[in-house]
Amino acid sequence: MATLFFIMLIGAALIWAGVVGLLFYAARKRRTYSEQVAGKVILWGGALFPAVVLAALLSYAVWLMPNVRPWFGTDDPGLRRIEVTGEQFWWRVRYLDQDGAALFETANEIRLPVGERVTFSLTTADVIHSFWIPVLGGKMDMIPGRTNRLSLLAEKPGTYRGVCAEFCGTSHTMMAFTVEAMDPPAYDAWLATRQSTGGQDAEGHALFMKNGCSACHTIAGTDAHGVIGPDLTAFGTRGSVGAGSLGNTADNIARFIREPAKVKPGALMPHYAMLPVAETDRIAGYLKGLQ
Amino acid sequence: MKSFIPREIETLWTLFTAPVVWALHFVICYAAVAIFCAKRLPASFDFDTMRIALFVVTLAALAMIVLAAWLAWRQWGFGADDPPHDEPTKDSRALFQGFATLLLSGLSFMAVVYAAIPLIFIAECQP
Amino acid sequence: MTVELPEFSAEERAAQEERLRKVWATPGGWRYWTSVNNSEIGLWYGVTAFTFMLFAGLLGLLMRAQLATPNNDLISPELYNQAFTLHGTVMMFLFAVPIFEAVAIFLLPSMLGARELPFPRLSAFGFWSFLLGGVFVCGSIFFNAAPNAGWFMYPPLATDKDYSGIGADIWLLGLSFIEVASIAAAVEIIVGIMKCRAPGMRINMMPMFAWYLLIVAGMILFAFPPLIAGDILFEMERMFGWPFFDASKGGDPLLWQHLFWIFGHPEVYIIFLPAIALMAMIVPTFSQRPIVGYSWIVLAAVGTGFLSFGLWVHHMFTTGLPQISLAFFSAASEAVAIPTGVQIFVFIATMLAGRVIFSVPMLFGAGGLAIFTIGGLTGVMVALVPFDWQAHDTYFVVAHLHYVLIGGMFFPIVAGIYYYFPFVTGKRLSDAWGKIAFWLMFVGFNTAFFPMHFAGLRGMPRRVYTYPEDFGWDWFNLVSTVGAFIFAAGVATFVVDIFWPKPKRLERNLNPWNSGTLEWTNDPSEDWGMRSVPIITSRYPLWEQKNLQADIEAGRYYLPDAKSGRRETLVTSVLDAEPIQCLRVGGVSYVTIIAAMALGGVFIALTFHWWIATLVCAVMTLAAVIYWLWTGTAQIPEHREEDVGLGLKLPIYVSGPASVGWWAMFITMVGDGTAFASLMFGYFFYWTIHSDFVTAAGPGLFWPMVAMGLYLFAWALTIAARALNEKGPTGCRIALVAAILVTLAASCAGLAGPYVYGLDPTQHVYPAIVWIAAIWTVVHGAVGAIMQLYCLARSLTGRMTGEYDQDIRNVTLYWHFMAFTAIVTFAVIGLFPMVAS
Repeated sequence: MATLFFIMLIGAALIWAGVVGLLFYAARKRRTYSEQVAGKVILWGGALFPAVVLAALLSYAVWLMPNVRPWFGTDDPGLRRIEVTGEQFWWRVRYLDQDGAALFETANEIRLPVGERVTFSLTTADVIHSFWIPVLGGKMDMIPGRTNRLSLLAEKPGTYRGVCAEFCGTSHTMMAFTVEAMDPPAYDAWLATRQSTGGQDAEGHALFMKNGCSACHTIAGTDAHGVIGPDLTAFGTRGSVGAGSLGNTADNIARFIREPAKVKPGALMPHYAMLPVAETDRIAGYLKGLQ
Repeated sequence: MKSFIPREIETLWTLFTAPVVWALHFVICYAAVAIFCAKRLPASFDFDTMRIALFVVTLAALAMIVLAAWLAWRQWGFGADDPPHDEPTKDSRALFQGFATLLLSGLSFMAVVYAAIPLIFIAECQP
Repeated sequence: MTVELPEFSAEERAAQEERLRKVWATPGGWRYWTSVNNSEIGLWYGVTAFTFMLFAGLLGLLMRAQLATPNNDLISPELYNQAFTLHGTVMMFLFAVPIFEAVAIFLLPSMLGARELPFPRLSAFGFWSFLLGGVFVCGSIFFNAAPNAGWFMYPPLATDKDYSGIGADIWLLGLSFIEVASIAAAVEIIVGIMKCRAPGMRINMMPMFAWYLLIVAGMILFAFPPLIAGDILFEMERMFGWPFFDASKGGDPLLWQHLFWIFGHPEVYIIFLPAIALMAMIVPTFSQRPIVGYSWIVLAAVGTGFLSFGLWVHHMFTTGLPQISLAFFSAASEAVAIPTGVQIFVFIATMLAGRVIFSVPMLFGAGGLAIFTIGGLTGVMVALVPFDWQAHDTYFVVAHLHYVLIGGMFFPIVAGIYYYFPFVTGKRLSDAWGKIAFWLMFVGFNTAFFPMHFAGLRGMPRRVYTYPEDFGWDWFNLVSTVGAFIFAAGVATFVVDIFWPKPKRLERNLNPWNSGTLEWTNDPSEDWGMRSVPIITSRYPLWEQKNLQADIEAGRYYLPDAKSGRRETLVTSVLDAEPIQCLRVGGVSYVTIIAAMALGGVFIALTFHWWIATLVCAVMTLAAVIYWLWTGTAQIPEHREEDVGLGLKLPIYVSGPASVGWWAMFITMVGDGTAFASLMFGYFFYWTIHSDFVTAAGPGLFWPMVAMGLYLFAWALTIAARALNEKGPTGCRIALVAAILVTLAASCAGLAGPYVYGLDPTQHVYPAIVWIAAIWTVVHGAVGAIMQLYCLARSLTGRMTGEYDQDIRNVTLYWHFMAFTAIVTFAVIGLFPMVAS
C-alpha cells in the first residue's frame, strides 16, 4: 500500500514535471517543428506512454486488492470478531465470541490484539456512516439493510483514532472513537475482566439512577440496563467523552451532561442543565471513576 | 473476404462502433459478476467458470473491435494518406472518418484489455 | 465547390441590411426580455451562471474562514452543512453545466455559420427555467432552508424529514427543473451541430468546439435522465412514503448512489470537455497555425464520452461491493486517462509546430493545464481501489476534485472569456489586469488546495465543520484559508476588469487575435449574426479562404436578404453539409417565459405540497406548450421554396428524418428512454438483492398483457394514420380517433394490474417499483394521446395535410418509443415474476 503510494507519488511528480516542462518549452522555443514530429509527440506522449504505464499500474493495484483486504470466512474458528454499529453520532461496539454471540457491549472505543486479524461486522442503526481507522487501513461504509465486513490487522501496540468518514448529519464531525492496540495476552486479560462490576461511588450511582440516566445507558454489573445510548461500563478508561468530542475529564463529562447539544450539535441526548451543578458534577465524578 | 465484410457505408455512426463494443463488454462483465455474486446464478457456475466465460466474451469483443479497426483502416485507404485530411472533398472527409475510427478502435481495444485485467487477479466475490 | 459570387450595389446592400435588421431586431424596453436571439440568451445565461458561481464561491470562502483554525465557531454546524451542500450543488448544477450551455448557445451559430440555432425559443425556455430554478435553490439558504445533506443527497439522511426538512425537496425539485433546461439545451446543440452548419462545412471541417459540444450534448442525454429517474423515486419516497431507499421495507439506499453517480461521473466530463473545447479554439489562434491532431481530438472527445460512463462506481469503492466489480470500474477509470492525456498533448503538439504568441488567454490556458495535470495524476491515484480505500472522503479528494475542476474548467473558462470578450462587446479586456488576476488566482489556488492533499493523507475527513487541534491539520488548514482569499482576490480582479469602462476603439477590428475560425466574421453591433452564410472550404476559413470576410459582409453568399420577413437559417446534411432546407426559426415571444414560469410553478408548488396550485400550473404549462407548438412549429408556408441566393432554391417545409423537428423528437426520446432504462435498472437491482423479490403478490399476468396489446394496437393505428394521411385527411382522422380511444383504454388497463391486485406501494419496494413502472408508461401513454389529439386538430384545421405532415411524422416517431416502453414495462412487470420464481 505504502509502496503503491510512493511509486505513484514519484511517477506523478516526474510526469507532471515532464508535461509542464514540455508545455513551457513549446511556448518559449524559437524554432517550429514539423507537423509529422508534432504528431509523433501526440502518439507517443499522449497515447502510448500513458497506455503502457497505466496498464502496469492498474495490474499492480488490482493484484494488491485481495492482499490488502484478504477475506476470512465468517465461521473460521479462532477468528477475533467485533460488531460495530454506527449511530447518530456514536459507535456501538460488541465483542463477539467464536459462535457469533455477544460477549459484551461497549461504545466509542475498540480494543484490538496486536498481530492478529480482527474481522469487523459493520452495520448502522440509522443513516449511512463509514468506519475508518486511518492508521490501520481503508474505510468501509455502514449501510442500512446491509452488513459489511472488514478485516484489519494492527501491527504495533498503541492508541489510534477512528472516525466516521461519510457525512451523517449535524454532528458528523463529532463522531470519532479511540482504538487501543494491545499485546494479545493483555487483550485476552482485558476481555476476561471486562464484565466488571460498577463503581465504588454509591451516591453517584444513585444520582445516575434517580435522574433516569439508566433509561438509555447501561453500566454492567449494576441495575442500569438502558440500550438507547452508549454503554458506559468502565467509562473512566475511555479515551474521550461524546465520541471524540472532548477529552475524558470529570469537568468535560459534567459539561456534556449539562448541555450535550452545545458540545455536540444534533446529539440526541437530552440536556440536564436544570439539575443542580453539584448533582451533575457528582454524576460526572462517578462516571470518571468507573474503571 | 468480400462476401461477408460489409461495403463502405456513408454514415456518421460507424465512428462509434468500437466504443459501443467496449460499452457492451463492460456492461456484460459488470452485470454478469453482479448477478453471479448476489444470486450465485447460474447455479452450475463457480467463480472460475465465470472468469473463463468472461475471458471468452473479452476475446469476442476484441475480435469485433479488430474488425471495426480493419474497416476503418480500409476507409482510411490502408494508410494511403496522412492527416490532416482537411480538404473540402468527400474523399478527404471519408479519410478523416476512417482515421478517427481507427484511433477510437485502438483506444477501445486498450479499454477492453484493461477491463480484463481484474479477471486475472481477483478470484473470489469477496468484498 | 466553385460558384460565381454575385455583386450587389451599395443601395441593394443597404436595403438588404435594412430588412435583415428589422427581422432580427431585439425588441426595446422591457420587451427586451422576450428576445430569443442566441446572442441575448447566451449572454443572459452566461451572466446568470457566473453570478451563481460568485455566490457559491462566497459560500466556499465562508467555509474556509470557519476551518481556518481548529475548534472555530464562526458559523454554526447547521449553516456549515447547508453551505457545503449548496456550494457543491450550485457549482455543479448552476455554474459548470449552464456556463457551457451559455457559451454554446452564444458561439455555436457564428462558429457554424448559421444565423440561429434551430430552436431559439427552446433556448429561451431553457434559460428562464434555469434562472427560476437557480434562484429558488440559492435563495433557500437565506431562509435557513437550504439542502443540507451534501450535494450527493444520500438517503436515508436526505429522506429523513426531521433532519433535511424542506431543503431536500428544494434540491430535488429545483434541480429536476434545471435538468429539464439542460436536456432542452442538449437537444438544441445536437440538432444545431448536425444540421445547421454552413454549406461545405463537412464533418472534417467542423471547428473543434463543435465536435466537443456534440459529444457533450450526447453525454447529457445519457447522464441526466438517470438522475431525473432517481429524483422521481426520491420524491415519491419523501412525499408519499414509497420505500425505494428504505431498507426496512425492501428498498436500498445504494440504488440512489448508483443512479446519482451514473449521472455524477459523466457530469465531470460534461463540465470538462467544453472547457477543453475552448482551449482547442484558443491554442491554434495563439500558435498561429491549424491544430495538429484534429482526428486525435475527435478520438479524445468520443473516447472520453464513452468511457466516462464506466466510472461511476469509483465513487462507491467503500460501499462493500465485490472487489471484482470495483476493479472493473477502476480499469475504466484508468483507461479514461488515455484520451485525457491525448488532449493535453494535442495542445503541446500544436504549440510545438507553431509560433506561440503569449497572451492573457494563453496564460490562463497554460496555467489551467498545469493545475489540471496535477488533478489528473491524483485522479489516476484515487481511481486505484487500494489507494481510494484510504483517500476516499478525505481532503485528498477535495484537493483532487478542485484541481480537476478549477484547472480543467474554471481557468479555461476565464481564458475563454478573455479570448471571446471582443467577440461579445467589440472591446478587449485589459492585458495588465489580466496578468494580475492570473497570478493572484494561480498562486492563490495552489496555496489553497495543495495543502489539502497533505491534510487528507493525514486523515482529515471531508464535510467536517471543525477539527480538533494537534492532529497536524492546523497549519495546512490555515494556509488553505489564506490561499482561498488570495484566489478570491484574483477572481474579484477579473470581475472588476469586466465591468471597468473601456474606451471605444477607433478602428473597427472584428478579429483582434487574428483567429482563423468563422465566428470572428460577426459584427457584435448587429443582431443578424452572419451577414450572409458562406461556403466553407477550410477548417480555418479566415486564414485560408481569401477575401472571405469582405464577401460575407458584402452579402455575396447565401441568405443575404430577408425578403420573406421571417427569421431564416440554412439546414444542411449531416456528413457533407449540403444545403437541404431554408428553415424558418421562431422569433421574439412571451410564450417561452410563460411556459417556463408555469413549469417552475409546478415544481415550486410541489415542494410545498400545494397540490391544487401544482395542478393549475401543470395545466398552464400544457396550454402554453401547445400554444407554442400550434403557432410556432410546422407552419405551412405560403410557397414551397425560397430563393436563398447564389441561384439556389430550397424547400421551406421538410418533414420526416430530414427535418430538424424529427431529430429533436428522436433525441428527446433517447433521453427519455434512458430515464426509463434507469427505472428498469432499479427493478432488476432490487431483484438481485432480494431472494424473495418477485414472489410477493404482483400485478398478475392478464392486465399487463392486455395493456401491452392495446398500446401496440394504438401504435399500429398511429402508423396507419400517418400512412393514410398521405392519401387524404379522412382515413387519417378516423385512424387517429380510434388510436386515441385505444390509447385511453390501454392506459386504464396499464393501471388495472397493480390496482386490481391491491398492490400497496407504501408497504414494500416491490409494489412500489411495479406501480412506478406502470405509472411511467401510462403517463407516456397520456402524452401520446394528447399528441394524437393534436394531430387530429391540426388535420381538422387544415394545418396538417398530406404534403405538410411534420406533426404526424414526429408523433409516429414518439409512438415508436412509446411502443418499446410499453413492451418492456408490461413484459417485465407481467412476465418476469413467472420467469424468476
